[in-house]
Amino acid sequence: MQEQISRAEAGGAAAPAGSLVHEDLTARWFIVSSVAYFFIVGIIAILIAAKFVWPDLMGTVSWLSYGRLRPLHVNGMLFGWLLAADMGLTFYVIPRLCGVKLWSEKLGVATAMLWNVIILGAVVCLLAGWNQGWEYAELPMFLDVLVVVAWIMFGLNIFMTVAQRKYTAMYVTIWYTMGCILWTAFVYLTGNFATLFATGTNQANLNWMYVHNAVGLIFTPVGLALAYYFIPRASNTPLHSHKLSMVGFWSLAFVYVWTGAHHMIHGPISQWLQTIAIAFSLMLLIPVWAVVYNLFATMKGQWHQLRENVPLKFLMTGVVFYLLTCFQGPMHSLRTVSAIVSKTDWIPGHAHMAVLGCFSFFAIAGTYFAVPKMWGKALHSQALANWSYWMMLIGGLGFFVTLWLGGFWQGWQWNNWSIPFIDTVVALKPIWLVRFFSGALIFVGIVMFAYNVLATVMGTTEEAAS
Amino acid sequence: MFKKADTSAIWAVAISLLLFFIGGILTTVVPPLIDTSWAKPFDNQDPAKGVTGKLMPLTDLQKKGRAIYVREGCWYCHTQQVRTLLADTKRYGWRGVDAPISTPDEFVYDDPHMFGTKRTGPDLARVGGKYDEQWHRTHFRNPRDLVKGSVMPTYPWIVKDPEEFKALVAYMQNLGRAKDWRPAKDYEK
Repeated sequence: MQEQISRAEAGGAAAPAGSLVHEDLTARWFIVSSVAYFFIVGIIAILIAAKFVWPDLMGTVSWLSYGRLRPLHVNGMLFGWLLAADMGLTFYVIPRLCGVKLWSEKLGVATAMLWNVIILGAVVCLLAGWNQGWEYAELPMFLDVLVVVAWIMFGLNIFMTVAQRKYTAMYVTIWYTMGCILWTAFVYLTGNFATLFATGTNQANLNWMYVHNAVGLIFTPVGLALAYYFIPRASNTPLHSHKLSMVGFWSLAFVYVWTGAHHMIHGPISQWLQTIAIAFSLMLLIPVWAVVYNLFATMKGQWHQLRENVPLKFLMTGVVFYLLTCFQGPMHSLRTVSAIVSKTDWIPGHAHMAVLGCFSFFAIAGTYFAVPKMWGKALHSQALANWSYWMMLIGGLGFFVTLWLGGFWQGWQWNNWSIPFIDTVVALKPIWLVRFFSGALIFVGIVMFAYNVLATVMGTTEEAAS
Repeated sequence: MFKKADTSAIWAVAISLLLFFIGGILTTVVPPLIDTSWAKPFDNQDPAKGVTGKLMPLTDLQKKGRAIYVREGCWYCHTQQVRTLLADTKRYGWRGVDAPISTPDEFVYDDPHMFGTKRTGPDLARVGGKYDEQWHRTHFRNPRDLVKGSVMPTYPWIVKDPEEFKALVAYMQNLGRAKDWRPAKDYEK
């Protein structure tokens, strides 16, 4: 793998004169807009966390009520921030791994513009209550169609770049990216279009296939693609094992899609389908542990680098959260565990660890790493970047751990039916207060991150010769 | 086969899709073909076979109410499923009568489905007929007037609109009533 990574190096900003120069126009557009949405949607996040503590807060305005803001928070973070940042970083990474320019910067910039139109449209529709009623698939149909168009434009650009690549062998990042583009297409079509032709349990089954794989086959492969690129790059260390990365990739491709029904354990859906989902959920440990071992082993003898290297801190913390969140997932699917944690506040604790603790950390790391390279400037402030890490880590841990404890407690209370429901709500109030303050810490981290990126982009500091 | 995918993008694409489609088709297309109860509306007139009742399509008014339920995101905090857990049947029962477990045949006319994932508030699968219209009016105006400690949002804009309020209550009073589970039909209007 040494060879592969040194090829990747060749595409960096420090390339000698006369060699390939990447324009990165598309990547820049995507990253700048995604960081802006991260900040804006962060405000929404704080607001809905506050509504749990002070339920009358802004309660008389329909478009500021919890039921309107929550989908905006979820869709804004998933599609406005995370997926856009992932796409931007993919536009940065893939041409470098292929040793060629991006196939079409024009098409790429058009994709970025279309994506911004979609996100702004989503804000208006969701606040107005124009909600399709499916989790993660709230956006009205015309926006769904635009998402498909944007995804085809994105996929075409990446696949054409890969087709023109200079090196025959493809690094693991390229497979994960291609897998993500293809699977996402079908997963998205299932969740947003196939559901139109079904009702009730059948529709729910399609919906959960989409919801589960939105994380499993969209954010996981693109997130891992970035981790596989940025961990070796940020630490200047070759990947531990190519073979192990193959095990992880192909088992992911096979296993993930079977598990959708584990969102309805004990629910109104066939028991045998629940059992299949449980069995495959347990098998998820194979791709996860293969990836995690590979990334940890890459860092063998290199852990000291974490002291100074902020992107590496985010990356390796993300790997730890990936391990934890993907251990929780299979365990939740077991009938006995599900009877306690399902539908409780444990679940948002779990979901935030996956999407914030793992995949957003990867994207933040990639942004901190790539922005100075793309703009040819030094990062505005290393100290501020370090602070943003600690804010997000401490806030994140506060958030996850309190919701797990609270959720477990809540689940036990629910299972004792002599406790009135409202008492289980009142019992959770201290938990929600801690969650609000943890969320505030995360938000401070987001502000530091966004400001740092903005100051780097706008600033005049030239990149010190490395 | 997998080795080939190392150097050939076409192979990588083909195998990725093949592996994905095995599970994809077996878990989405096949299950409704095997378990036909997913698409057959609940209908039982024989008390020997358990709780009786018949699932009817929603009236226009109920559909309108359902759209409000979707629009306001009620489903983010209220599930609609009595699970196969003793605690669920006890907790969501009424006056000592256990709530029947939710089955797929009760949800055939649900589009979008409202099973939900989170219970910040209680499950609503069997809420139909538990509280009367006046209770709902007060509760939507400010839940804390009736339930101390509730964190549910207030919905003054629904209460102020008689048509919307009527529709929403019509929808809610119908929830879980396909199975006629309460003795002597002691449902509130």
